[in-house]
Amino acid sequence: MTARTRPRRAGDWATLALAIFIVLFGLIFVGGGGYLLSLGGSAYYLICGIVLLASGLFMAMGRLLGAYLFLLAWAGTLVWTIAECGFDWWGWLPRLFGPTLIAILVVLSLPVLRRQDTVRPVSRGAV
Amino acid sequence: MRRPALLTATMLGGLLSASVALAQIPPSNSTPGEDHTSPAEAHSQGPGRFGGPAPSAPQAPGVNAANLPDISEIGIADVPAAVPQIDSTPAREDWPAYGRDSNQSRYSPLEQLTPDNVGKLKRAFVYHTGSKPGPGQANKWAAETTPIKVGNSLYMCSAMNDMMRIDAATGKEIWRHDAGVKYHSIPYTAACKGVTYYTSSTVPEGQPCHNRIMEATLDMRLIQVDAETGKLCEGFGFGGQVNLMQGMGESVPGFVSMTTPPPVINGVVVVNHEVLDGQRRWAPSGVIRGYDAESGKFVWAWDVNNPDNHHQPEPGKFYSRGTPNSWAAMTGDNELGLVYVPTGNSAADYYSAMRTDKENAVSSSIVAIDVKTGEPRWVFQTAHKDVWDYDIGSQATKFDYHHADGTVTPALLVPTKRGQTFVLDRATGKPLPEFPVVEKPAPASTMADDPRSPTQPWSDAFPRLAFPDLKESDMWGMSPIDQLYCRIMYRKARYVGEFTPPSTDKPNIEYPGYNGGSDWGSMAYDPESGIVIANWNSTPMYDQLITRKKADALGLKPIDNPSYNPAGGGAEGNGAQADTPYGIVVTPFWNHYTGMMCNKPPYGMIEAIDIKTKKVLWSRPLGTARANGPWNMPTGLPLNIGTPNNGGSVVTKGGLVFVAAATDNQIRAIDIKTGKDVWSDVLPGGGQANPMTYEVNGKQYVAIMAGGHHFMMTPVTDQLVVYALPDEADTKH
Repeated sequence: MTARTRPRRAGDWATLALAIFIVLFGLIFVGGGGYLLSLGGSAYYLICGIVLLASGLFMAMGRLLGAYLFLLAWAGTLVWTIAECGFDWWGWLPRLFGPTLIAILVVLSLPVLRRQDTVRPVSRGAV
Repeated sequence: MRRPALLTATMLGGLLSASVALAQIPPSNSTPGEDHTSPAEAHSQGPGRFGGPAPSAPQAPGVNAANLPDISEIGIADVPAAVPQIDSTPAREDWPAYGRDSNQSRYSPLEQLTPDNVGKLKRAFVYHTGSKPGPGQANKWAAETTPIKVGNSLYMCSAMNDMMRIDAATGKEIWRHDAGVKYHSIPYTAACKGVTYYTSSTVPEGQPCHNRIMEATLDMRLIQVDAETGKLCEGFGFGGQVNLMQGMGESVPGFVSMTTPPPVINGVVVVNHEVLDGQRRWAPSGVIRGYDAESGKFVWAWDVNNPDNHHQPEPGKFYSRGTPNSWAAMTGDNELGLVYVPTGNSAADYYSAMRTDKENAVSSSIVAIDVKTGEPRWVFQTAHKDVWDYDIGSQATKFDYHHADGTVTPALLVPTKRGQTFVLDRATGKPLPEFPVVEKPAPASTMADDPRSPTQPWSDAFPRLAFPDLKESDMWGMSPIDQLYCRIMYRKARYVGEFTPPSTDKPNIEYPGYNGGSDWGSMAYDPESGIVIANWNSTPMYDQLITRKKADALGLKPIDNPSYNPAGGGAEGNGAQADTPYGIVVTPFWNHYTGMMCNKPPYGMIEAIDIKTKKVLWSRPLGTARANGPWNMPTGLPLNIGTPNNGGSVVTKGGLVFVAAATDNQIRAIDIKTGKDVWSDVLPGGGQANPMTYEVNGKQYVAIMAGGHHFMMTPVTDQLVVYALPDEADTKH
């Protein structure tokens, strides 16, 4: 990685922190979700966890794709929530409230990622 | 995995500081998970090794709390003919019995308070009973008290059994009887649900002890005092007291106790008692006994494993050990000469292989005992061969059932922790034809030595007080991470619906849990409209049998073992189940990091059911998130999440339901037509008690003991809070 993608501004740092948070989230989902699946439970957490891992890693690399993957996971979670519990408000709380807050942060990081991403081809060339 | 999960959950919790509610059930050890000890190994450790003191061993000091001599026995013919008791025909403005009347209806004909004016209700006075944990005393308090009201006075007991008479209009104490109950006599909970008002059949009016206040104490005494003065009634027992540990054999203080008002039926006062759950298979007996309400002399006993002997044991002998105990309030029936006894389980609640057929026939049942002989007239069982602690906590309510053809049957409404409500013919114990009971197949045991009943009874005509069986997708949390944790817990357990049996290899989910469905709050019934008010819990439990070795490692010992650690296990949590091959670990089905229940809300409901149409008129969550939250932090939110609840309701002719019970520490008035709150007030402590209502000088009052509850983790106080309309807002009626 070159000096160009190294975080410089507050927005860069915040986006990196968010990316690391999403990676942690993804790791827990992959680990716990894999275990849950092995116990005969829902596959959602494992699948979502893989997408979150990819999302966080790409975001950490300054790739816009990472943010899009998170928003994809969020949209998928919305569909899954409706499938699992319909429009029961209490069912929505654990599934969507926290992820929606993170999704808002991801959307806020879009300008940062967009800037980082535009310089990416150059940096990639340097790698 | 767990630490990052906790960390992330904490971070998310910060993000989500909004809106999360929680079930307040206390921490205890987590379920240990898989256990690969074979049953053969478990048995090889042999029950004998864990044998406690011989049942004939002398009782520990303090068991006979007042060092009373043995009481003698009389025949039923020697019991003086009873005079009519005030609770058979209560005055409109009175509340002379625990459930107001001898039907235990919890219905008051008062109508000054209505949905229109109840919003103006204000505190009239607060009375302090003086009983709460002292310095250095572990909090074992939950007063659970309901005062009774006769004339211009309230009569009640404190959590530690002091009795008092209070001016019903001002809260001024008129007299107080100090019962002298010691801290070591508290079993699991210091509670006194109420006192009994008894009018003497031999002492003339105007003489001391014509009207008497009677209570059954934590330390197993029956005490009578003069209603006028609070002085002990010398003619009763020995100086006003009877020692009920007589004939019980080996015991220690706190093992056996009484917390409910004893009913008097045709001159016979009937007593039951709680035996601390989970201690040992050969715990003291659950014997039910009848005494002459006038003299305190023994009349009969119903001893489950010794059913033909209705006498007191000879010196050196004792009532049969480990039999089902009955701790809930009993209901008397003067007309049929019966007492309806809600029974619990044999000792060692979660392991049934060592129970006798006689015990299996009467556990977790309503047993109608003839008060002349002590002989059961009928038995109705609500859970066969119970290993879920589905003992009956509720007091049964008597009522007249009006059939479609115009005939009337004296009936009994039997709520259960299972959320099944049975409606029985009081004369026969058979379900009414309108409420048939069907035996349905139940899950088989996974413990080779402890088979389960192939079927269990269901009363499908009466609306079930529970949600459908839990699914993985019902798991909850404040974030997807703790939801995932609960989903893993769900999948790690064995769960095949209601009656999933406990075993050693895996935890089992128990739903409904042992807190109900319906627990001791019981139901309220309006005989004029035929509407039943029921509040209930949706709080699953997570249980697992553990080998003796593991139980020893967890430090689980019975209460009468010298190395007993009170913090290690109690009636509601882990238990040694000594004398059996297995101990038991029981926790709420919750995420023990956050203290939040694993199932989605609501955790507590209240509903109105029309007994004629069997339809639910309304059903709604009971209790807000204001005093609950993750890590026991109050959220302060008015979200109507529905909290776990303990305590019942009152229904009034004025069209109101008064109920506290929920862990939001509020009392509320609900419009019986709509099910909506029309008034509420924040109590100084938890309202885990049954409220009551009465009238003095033309003014209607509502009283609630805000005693709190240690197990429900609500603030404990010694305050009885009484409400009335302020004078200027008083409405004509």
